[in-house]
Amino acid sequence: MGFKSAHSSLFIPVCVIFVFMEVMPTMKENFLDRFYARLDTLGEKLQTKELRIPVNITAGVVFFLFALFILAVMPQQVPISEGDAINGRSFPTLLMAVMMLCCAGLVLKDVYKIITKKPIEWKVINLNTEVKALVIFIILLISFFLCIVTDLFVVGSIFCCLGFLIYFRCKKPSYYAITLGIAVIIWVAFRFGLGVEF
Amino acid sequence: MMEYVGPAMGLLFTLENIIWINLGVFIGAIFSAIPGLTVILCVTLFLPVTYTMSAIPGMMFLLGIYCAGGYGGSVSAILINTPGTPHAAATMLDGYPLSQKGRTKAALKIALEASTFGGIFSALALLFLGPQVAKIAAQLGTAEYFMVCLFGLTIIAGVSGKSLVRGIISACLGLLIACVGSDPMTGYDRFAFGSNRLYLGLDLAVCLIGLFALVEILSKAESRAKAQNMDTSKLKDDGRITKDEYKRMFLPTLISSFIGVMVGIIPGTGASEASWFSYNTAKNMSKHPEEYGHGSVEGIAAAESANNAVTGATLIPLLTLGIPGDGTVAIMLSALMINGLNPGLSLFTTQGDIMYAIMIGLIVINIFMQIQGQLLTPFFAKVVSIPEEILTPIIVIFCFAGAYSVNENYFDVGVALVFTVLAWILRKIDLPPVPILLGLVLGKMTETNFRRALLVSDGDPSIFFSSIYCKIFVVLIIVALAAIIRGKIKDRQAEKAAHAE
Repeated sequence: MGFKSAHSSLFIPVCVIFVFMEVMPTMKENFLDRFYARLDTLGEKLQTKELRIPVNITAGVVFFLFALFILAVMPQQVPISEGDAINGRSFPTLLMAVMMLCCAGLVLKDVYKIITKKPIEWKVINLNTEVKALVIFIILLISFFLCIVTDLFVVGSIFCCLGFLIYFRCKKPSYYAITLGIAVIIWVAFRFGLGVEF
Repeated sequence: MMEYVGPAMGLLFTLENIIWINLGVFIGAIFSAIPGLTVILCVTLFLPVTYTMSAIPGMMFLLGIYCAGGYGGSVSAILINTPGTPHAAATMLDGYPLSQKGRTKAALKIALEASTFGGIFSALALLFLGPQVAKIAAQLGTAEYFMVCLFGLTIIAGVSGKSLVRGIISACLGLLIACVGSDPMTGYDRFAFGSNRLYLGLDLAVCLIGLFALVEILSKAESRAKAQNMDTSKLKDDGRITKDEYKRMFLPTLISSFIGVMVGIIPGTGASEASWFSYNTAKNMSKHPEEYGHGSVEGIAAAESANNAVTGATLIPLLTLGIPGDGTVAIMLSALMINGLNPGLSLFTTQGDIMYAIMIGLIVINIFMQIQGQLLTPFFAKVVSIPEEILTPIIVIFCFAGAYSVNENYFDVGVALVFTVLAWILRKIDLPPVPILLGLVLGKMTETNFRRALLVSDGDPSIFFSSIYCKIFVVLIIVALAAIIRGKIKDRQAEKAAHAE
């Protein structure tokens, strides 16, 4: 990409910083405030919704199935020479056998506890927390795809900075300027200090 | 030994190394001073930076972070009553009360000097014990090496979480992930799922960025750190420590350093265990136990010297057997291996100059930590109050840049994101991530030795119980398992009792 040059990479964050210093005060009173208010309402609804999962049974079942899957795909995924008693499949097979044994142990232990009416370990999963984590992950994902699509690391970095500052409901223009400035410094350090091409 | 010291000095004392040492110490102190950021996160973030360096500057940089991380945690513990790292919690018990008495600078000075003492003590232990342990390691064959790996994995799996079984599942997962890529013995590709990129295997740094760094960003959804406002006027005392106080601190510092070394040598145990154990020992031995918890200078010195005395000791099993003493040094193993330095006696003989340069370098790192600590503590104190809004995106950008720079492609960034999701799911079902790290680090070594041993014995598994060293490791594994299970039962009983109350 011809667009990928040091000047263009620096130009974008400088523009963004300028726009945010100028536009932020108006934005926060209008769009962002309404956006945050909607999020608050949604958050209040989700805060009360919780999922309780039995930790040992869940971990046991999930990884037992995972081990079964690995054993099932092993013949296609791990080629071996005929006649080798100890081959590339031996070690992963042993690992999966140990994993399945451990998983069975975890599940049986809790099933026994349930039968004997002893308390088992539960994990409470709050939906509000999970949705927040999902939002953070989406910020990461969009930043990643922006890097790929534009082939400019700095574009993804800028989105990441803005995304997190908005997520944290930051209203200080100076924070935007500092964060974007540091993002550029990191890019410069990797690009010119360590010779990483991005 | 002496034949290596001269060349090692020549290799070590270059401008490049001194700069990297100081940079590592500076970054390590800053990271660990900020509550919520850990040393393992810092080493993970900066590991890709070392990929372009040779062994000595790379290791000096990472060791600088590691050692300064031992001290930096005490800054926030003393100043704002919040330990920057988990192992600074014991320091907080007396550091903050002493600060409240108007002796903030004195508390920071004690922490710094005790950290330096502990660090140098453990560096000397590494220098003298390392080559001796390596000589024993040279007598180990493939079966014995497999048992060593098994021993390391068992302990880490046992002590990393609430449940030994869940720890073993994590370790198996880590070992399986290490199998992705070309077979170390035949070269056939494994678990590549048709991807050309996976043929080369998954890079450790990329996996760790997802497992330990990016997942911390997701955890911001769980809770947000409160902004810590550091009152720098607290640093106005003269920081004077009396002769009598130095006298009182000497013995606890020495004993705690010794405890730190002993704890550090055992794989799976770390600075937190050392600092609490030393703190309690010092309290029991003290003529003034009533002062503990109310600003005792002995308490600060004991906790800080112990947690820094772990740093050199954890390198003893790492450099001699390839078994990392804790998660952070496990990451350093990859920095060594990327430069063709494989742990064992050969490292101390064929590449003795490099090895001695690293070991002597550890002493130099502690000296620079002392200098930087004296000069820059007010700055470290200000860093404590960096807002989360600024810190979080910066860490993400670092993670992305680090993952990308490993092979200069975005596929690795994608892999890091996949590991982030995996780590988040593991967190939800209480599976500890550290055994995965150990599995990733030890995977190739464990599998290669397992298969070679079985090839030698024509598939007879009794080879793993044949030699005296194998038998010793079998006994050690059984003893370790028994101790871990006993500990877990005790913890559960204590939990139940507390719950009943």
